[in-house]
Amino acid sequence: MNRSLALPALLPLAFLLLMVAAPLARLLQEGHAGFSLALLQDSYIQWRLLWSAGQALATCALALLIGLPLAWVLARFDFAGRRLLLRMLMLPFVMPTLVAGMGVLALFGPHGVAGVNLQDTPWLLLYGNLFYNLPLLVRAGVDGLEQVPASRLAVARTLGASPWRTFWRVEWPVVRPWLASALCLIFLYCFAGFGLALLLGGQRYATVEVEIYTLVAYELNLADAGVLALLALGVGAAVALAYAALERGITRPQRLAPTLRTPAQGWPQRLLLAAALAVLALCCLLPLLAIVWRALQADAAVWAMLAEPEVLAALGNTLRFASAALLLSLLLGLCHGWAAQRWLALRALVFLPFMVSPVCLAFGLLLLYPQYSASVGLLIAAYALLAYPFVAKGVLSAAAALPPQLPQAARTLGATPWRSFCRVSLPLMRPALRRGLAFAAATAVGEFAVSLFLSRPEWATLTTLIYQHLGRPGAANLQLALLLSCLLMLFALLAFVVIEWPEKNHARAD
Amino acid sequence: MLKKSVLLLALAGLSLSALAAELRVMTHSSFSLPKDRIAEFEKQNGVKLSIVKGGDAGEMLNKLILTRANPIADVVYGIDNTLIAKASAAGILAPTSSKVGRTEKDAQLPGAVAVDYGYVTLNYDKAWFAKAKLPLPATLDDLTKPAYKDLLVVQNPATSSTGLAFLLATIADRGEDGAFKWWEKVRDNGLKVNKGWSEAYYTDFSRNGGSRPIVVSYATSPAAEVFYSKEKISESPTANLLLKGGVFLQVEGVALLKGGKEPQAAQAFVDFLRSDGVQTGLQTKMWMYPAVAGTAIDPVFAHAQKPAKFSNPSLAAMNGKTAGWVSRWNRLVVKQAN
Repeated sequence: MNRSLALPALLPLAFLLLMVAAPLARLLQEGHAGFSLALLQDSYIQWRLLWSAGQALATCALALLIGLPLAWVLARFDFAGRRLLLRMLMLPFVMPTLVAGMGVLALFGPHGVAGVNLQDTPWLLLYGNLFYNLPLLVRAGVDGLEQVPASRLAVARTLGASPWRTFWRVEWPVVRPWLASALCLIFLYCFAGFGLALLLGGQRYATVEVEIYTLVAYELNLADAGVLALLALGVGAAVALAYAALERGITRPQRLAPTLRTPAQGWPQRLLLAAALAVLALCCLLPLLAIVWRALQADAAVWAMLAEPEVLAALGNTLRFASAALLLSLLLGLCHGWAAQRWLALRALVFLPFMVSPVCLAFGLLLLYPQYSASVGLLIAAYALLAYPFVAKGVLSAAAALPPQLPQAARTLGATPWRSFCRVSLPLMRPALRRGLAFAAATAVGEFAVSLFLSRPEWATLTTLIYQHLGRPGAANLQLALLLSCLLMLFALLAFVVIEWPEKNHARAD
Repeated sequence: MLKKSVLLLALAGLSLSALAAELRVMTHSSFSLPKDRIAEFEKQNGVKLSIVKGGDAGEMLNKLILTRANPIADVVYGIDNTLIAKASAAGILAPTSSKVGRTEKDAQLPGAVAVDYGYVTLNYDKAWFAKAKLPLPATLDDLTKPAYKDLLVVQNPATSSTGLAFLLATIADRGEDGAFKWWEKVRDNGLKVNKGWSEAYYTDFSRNGGSRPIVVSYATSPAAEVFYSKEKISESPTANLLLKGGVFLQVEGVALLKGGKEPQAAQAFVDFLRSDGVQTGLQTKMWMYPAVAGTAIDPVFAHAQKPAKFSNPSLAAMNGKTAGWVSRWNRLVVKQAN
């Protein structure tokens, strides 16, 4: 068992070494002469650190509080359009920060529809954080709750447990590891958040990543940046290790018939469903709708610009880069997730790509591989780096839920470990794998690699093009940027639907 | 045997000619030229242009400095007068000159070859001021008065080159201490700071749904507003607010990089950027004025004004101090606002 897990671990470990550890070490080496902890005594830096952690924790708490009931409703009730809604929930992920900010401000900005101006308050920043991160928790919660064996719920009810007690004693233990991994990710995302904090919360709510970015990209002060980046890495590592330890302590559930969804019956249930959908729409879909609404007001001349060759080329690039990154992510994620079943450290390492300051990574890669700095290979590796943890996470959760008897039976019947993996374990993990891939796809069409790495004009993706147009004044530029954002959403939604196309066999097994 | 080797040689020759020399050009992310001009240059010089965008100008320069041992480009375009001193001090630039055209008096950029220039200044939303029946501020000091509370948005000089240019304009005009006194007052009068030009212009500027009718932008932005208007309009919805101490002359240039390859093609590229085709073409692509004197100016630039007075701090005065100013600015404006 051990040996069969060690082999697949080598690939992701080598990848992380080349793409994260070595570049970071190179950057630290460049600045090591000036290392000093004096920086940390600065009250300004202390505030940045505390605020970064504080807002990340607050977002986690809010996401759990709001997201868990939503997930429960989505996991227990069946309704028309449920599947599409789950796919749409990933759309915030693909939105460029600036466009998402515009959507949020259209609701709660100075002239917002809501009539209250929350700009430059921490509330708007938290709302923005929820917009991006609530979907993570809700989807993880739905996935987890769907694993709860129906028979156990029935037994609990028969024995007279109240719904509340049933939740705590039966459902909560099953869903907990799924939530823990989502919360870990949300914390890391918010802690290292960059653009959103500035845009919605204003300068005083900037995160520590903004400081690191300024130190690296503008001041070339690699010593101070290194200290801060290491500190941020330490915080991220502590959180990821805590999560990994927590998840390990949980016993594997037996795979029994999972709970079936039923249509909402009676007024209380219908009301509950309606309320949940309303909250979900408020947090995740309204800013997107605001963008669509504004975009649809574009003139015919701007619509016509959608057919220009640069848009088509950008669409082609987005498709090409995203699929290449997805293939690589699939390979890395499968290996890492499968191998991480056994080792706590490997499990925490799944989150490594999100623990390292992105700007340090970008500059480290530049220092380490100057000759490849503007190569497609490095670009795709960078996309895959941020995308594959989702696949690994999916594999890890699914592997934890695998009944050990099935592969054991296959082995007894003479199957090789490889054959048993391919014919038994892999098919059982496929739904989780597809969910992970969908999130990975969302990350791969996002903006990270666009903003920090060297790029070439001929590589322009839809996101690059959106930022290009928002880099110039004029109504036509704004309108085209909004239209392109809608195109990006449409494209992403299509990708999600294809990736998560329901499997017939699986549907029956459910 | 002979036949075979001839064939091999011919094949080798073919593959060599297919692999045209590559000229690596590093630019900032706003670089944009008409595509046909670039194709023309490649054809005339038998090189393939490989344009690499390195982010905002300041970030791009730092990437070049970090990789100077293994240069990742042969030519750099987009180093401006706020950055040239840092670039020279880091020793990454090779001496560069061009015999093409004569440079405008204002567009001097010692250490590189000037390509274009423009002015960072305040823009205002005409409709907002008309509706509010508020007279336009006549001086920067007016912006510290209660009547003009909560009207201005600027970019953080730590993350934006327009923000940095505006900060330098105030320092050049008032001296360091005087400028920071003004910033303190304007901060207390509801100054808004955003990350970059796009964020400020598209989320804070009242013209685009924000709450601030005055934004730090370029003197050519009103012309761009006309050029990129939805239905062709004859008057810009925004205009320049050219206040003393609030206008910064920015000159952008091109230079060869030390250790770069293809020096001949690199020189050809420098001259190409000064050629009439590029000098006219860049105006409505990058919204800057051509640096070569006598270039025809695009008619849409009539909607912009060239400021008569502007700050052009001497390069020596800026050298090495910029980082300290930016840090002081952040501590004053951002930290104290906590």
